This record gives sequence, C-alpha cells and structure tokens, in this order.
Amino acid sequence: MKTAKKPVKTPAKAPKAAAKPKVAFFDFACCEGCQLQITNLGETLLDILGAVDVVEFREAISEKWDKDYDVVFIEGSIGDHHAEERLKKIRARAKVLIAYGSCATIGGVNGMKNSFELDEIRRSVYGKDYKLFDSTPTKAVHQVVKVDYFINGCPVYGPEILEVIKHALRGLPYTVPDNPVCAECKLNENVCMYERGIACLGPWTRAGCNSWCVNNGNICYGCRGEVSNPSKAAQDVISKYKLKPELIKNKFDMYNKCKENDKSEKGK
Amino acid sequence: MNQHILKKEELDAFIKKLSKRMKVVAPVAKGHDNFAFAEVTSAEEISLKYIPTILPPKKYFMPVREKVLEFSADSRGFEQKPVVEYEETAIFGVHTCDLAGISCLNMVFSERPRDYNYLTRKDHLFIIGLECLSYCDEHASCALVNAHNPNGGYDLFFTDLGDRWIIHVNTQKGEDLVEGMGLPKASGADLAALEKARAAKREVFKNEIGVEAKKLPGIFSKAMKSRVWHGVGERCVSCGNCTNVCPTCYCFDMTDSVGLDLKTGERTRTWDSCQFETFAKVAGNENFREERSERQRHRYFRKFSFPLDKFNRFFCTGCGRCTRTCMAKINLKDTLKELAAEHN
Repeated sequence: MKTAKKPVKTPAKAPKAAAKPKVAFFDFACCEGCQLQITNLGETLLDILGAVDVVEFREAISEKWDKDYDVVFIEGSIGDHHAEERLKKIRARAKVLIAYGSCATIGGVNGMKNSFELDEIRRSVYGKDYKLFDSTPTKAVHQVVKVDYFINGCPVYGPEILEVIKHALRGLPYTVPDNPVCAECKLNENVCMYERGIACLGPWTRAGCNSWCVNNGNICYGCRGEVSNPSKAAQDVISKYKLKPELIKNKFDMYNKCKENDKSEKGK
Repeated sequence: MNQHILKKEELDAFIKKLSKRMKVVAPVAKGHDNFAFAEVTSAEEISLKYIPTILPPKKYFMPVREKVLEFSADSRGFEQKPVVEYEETAIFGVHTCDLAGISCLNMVFSERPRDYNYLTRKDHLFIIGLECLSYCDEHASCALVNAHNPNGGYDLFFTDLGDRWIIHVNTQKGEDLVEGMGLPKASGADLAALEKARAAKREVFKNEIGVEAKKLPGIFSKAMKSRVWHGVGERCVSCGNCTNVCPTCYCFDMTDSVGLDLKTGERTRTWDSCQFETFAKVAGNENFREERSERQRHRYFRKFSFPLDKFNRFFCTGCGRCTRTCMAKINLKDTLKELAAEHN
C-alpha cells in the first residue's frame, strides 16, 4: 500500500479580487457643472462606483487620498501659475489622466480671456490692485500636461462619460468622433438651424454629443472643439444663408479661443 | 390584383383601424417645410402634401442605430447571441422615389451573405405608397431616373382622384387589409379617372436635366478625372448630410461596446458615410479618399455608375434630398449637367 502522499495539487488560489482602481476628481477654473453631470448619472453612477473606488471628489465626498491615483479626472482650464503647478503635481501621481468638460479639453469659455491684453483684463476684473492677483493666459489641460483621454462638452455628455470610463478601465484608447455634429443631428431628424434662419456651429464642431443641444431646440455652440480638418471654403454656406464670416468666427471664439495655443505650440 | 376606393373623408377611419392592428408611421410636418416619418394614430397628423422627408423610410428597414449582437466573455468561454429587433409597422404615404429606394436596398441586402436583420424587418413592414401628380419642388429629378411612376415594391398604392383615392392592391397582405376594411372595388369610371390623371402627369414630369438617362453611363465612364469634382470638393463640408438622407445609401459601421462588468457587451450597427474623412482611412493612417473631391466623386459614381454594373439600375431615385440638405449648395442636377457639358 502506497503510503507516499500523492503530491496534492493545491488548487490555484482564486485570484484576489483585483483591487478596484483608485479614482479622483479635481477641478480648476470652471463652474464645476461637469462634476455635477457625473453625480447626475443616476443608476449609471452606481454601476461606475461598483467598478472603481472614488478616493477624492470635492463635490460629492470629503475624504482625501495621499497615495498614487490610477485615474484622475481633471475639470477646468488652467489660468494661473499656482494651477499649473498643482496640475503637474497631480499628473505626477496619476497613471491615467482624463480631461473632461470643455474648460479642460479645449479651454472653453475661460479662453475668452485670451482675446484681451492680459493686464487690461486683470485690471477690469480685479481693479487697481490687480498685480496682487496672479493670472496667466488660459490653457487647456493638454497644453500643460499629457492627457490620456478627452471627454469633450459643456457639460460632458453622460453616455460618453461612461464610454470613456470603460475604455480607460480596459486600457484601450478612446477615439473622439471627428465628424461634424451635423452627422448626428441629421440622424435625429432635427430641422436644420440654418433652415430656421439661425447660424449654428454644427458643421465645424466635433460630434459625439448626439446633437444634444439641437435636439432640445438650441444651436451648437462649438463646445466640443473644431473637427480636425474643417472645411476651408465656408463661403458657400455663408452665402446660402446670407451670413457674415465674422459672425461664425466670433461664435467659435466663445469656446475655442485656446485653440490658438495649439497653433503656436506647433510653430515652436 | 384589384383596385379599391377610399373616400377622402374615410381616411381617418382607415388610419385609426390600421393603427389598431400595427404601428402606423406617416409624413408629419416639422415646420420650415421639413417633414419626417413619425408615428400617427389619426389622419389629421399626416401631411398628405409633403416634400421628401428629412430621412427616407429606409430608417425603418435599417435603423440609424441597431443592436445586432449580445456577447459575454469570461474564463468559461465566449458566448454570442444574434439580435434582430423589429416591430409590425405600416408606412403610409411613401412616394415613388422612396419606393424605388427601398427596392434598391432590397437588392443590396438580399445579396449573399444575406442580411437577416434587414430582411426580417422588411417582412414586418407594410408599405402604402402615395402618388405624386405634380413635382414636390425644383430639386426633384425623378423623371430622369423613371422613379416618378409606381413600379411595385408596395402593398397598397394610393392615387388621388379628387374626392377619393384609388388604391392599387399589390400583395395578398394588402388585399386582406382592404377586404377586411370593406373598401369598395373601383368602378370603370374610377379607372378612367386614374388614366386621365396619369395622362395629365405625363405632361408635368419631364427629364429634369435635358440629358437622356441612357447617356449617363457613357458620361460617367469619362468622368473619373473631371474638373467638376474639384469644384464640388472645394465646397463640401464633409458633414455627411447627403448620404444620410439618401434613400439608397446603406454603408454602416459596427462597434462593440463592453459593459462596466467588462464581461458582457453588445455590437451596434450605425449608419456611416463615405463623405467622412475617417471612412476610407485604414491602419497606418493611409486614406484611400483623402480629398473631399474624391469622396464626392465616389458618391456620384455609387449612384450613376457602379450600381449599373452590379444591379443594372441607377441608385439615384431623383428625390432631391441631397441637394435640399447640402449646406454648401452642391446640387445634383447641376453637377450632372456640368458633367454632361464636359463629357457628352
């Protein structure tokens, strides 16, 4: 009788439930409306909270975290030296950085500051002691640190937030649609704003929002940034609808002034 | 099959009875001379006089977004389940240009490998055509491609005879419906009135571009390097409106989306457009149709050249939607005239 013990194969240890990724939310110059969009996700938010550990989120929890982050969400644009330093420190502690909301991804409405001489605008905002208040030309997040994912929009669009989070959890790149908003708007069978006699930025703005604004009776304000290869010759559009080219440019500047920073970067 | 009669004042009862049997969709006014097929339950919601809707009825055959597959993958393996979503629906008031569009799509999706999602849905759609006795507007070119007259592809077909419609019954399903509703058969006088209406129509609908359709294949065979495409390309915004609204464009994209559990997911089919810069872009960033002029040329060839070789018919139905929707004033009739002038 064999007594020698059969080498018992120890069952492979069930892999420890992988620790959920540590996620933190930070805001810079913004209205914090995009954080609100995330807290407004409803049941989807519960599903997200099942998949990640939120360790910092000023608008929703009071806890802080002093270790590294797996994923950070950055809201807001960068408008002074302190913000720039703070953002760099966050980036250094983060494996993945997601810029979300127009302020973060394209500079957004804060970029309008760049339409003025800096000192002139500082004086107008802070009065005669303006030099006491630090201020720099507005920058989008990617103009300061490396950004891994962009969630465009003012505010961010719920289904896209979820899609980007899923891509980030799987470590896959997310491709922001590069078609004009018209592509989605037409599929929603909206009456074209131009047919109503109203200028809309849909033909030049990146899709991905399912033409959210136009579905609800508003124009597209260009909050998702310009498509990468916009039509150069807009004169036919402008002439068909009797518009002034400056009107379109001014409308575009409301959200997209910081795009000029990208151009000057390329020039370097 | 038979011809039946529906008095105009009885349309409401017809729609109400029909909508008890199945969902009924029909052209509905959206303001600013725009129309869309949408669900109705009474006749008063319907725009009987309408210019082609924003999207053609193809949206009921191949929805804008459609789930085609559910899948799950974990350590035990991979499972997948095909999904076909459909709903018994009657499409009321389809013009002959859109009937032509549907027959084009039927040919495309019946080719092997057959598209079961499309074909299953088609079996659950009941089509009621509506004849145009005058042009909808100046952008139509239906007579050029002979899509202004009924040519099958419907269950019932309505032609206006003043105080009543004469209904051509084309299928058993159609026969059962009109018989079930007790609609009277057309009399000899009704048939004579139909003949008269068609004769008057022949005087109204004429080739809209002054170039015979049979010359178009020859023109397109010489048009690959035409200067016309540069002019068109310089104007194009690449918004994809022209293909989205086209009754015969059927290109689509497929995307897989995984749930937050990272185990289950679904595959979605969405309309795509050859006008998008990304459409012909492949790995390594190579783009087979990088220029807008190449993409617009491709669109025209897909209507007036390639389908002739494959299906022996034009894939333009003359509905005029691409011209109406183009923000940059790219005009189908003008483009064809320019090509003819250059290459005829």
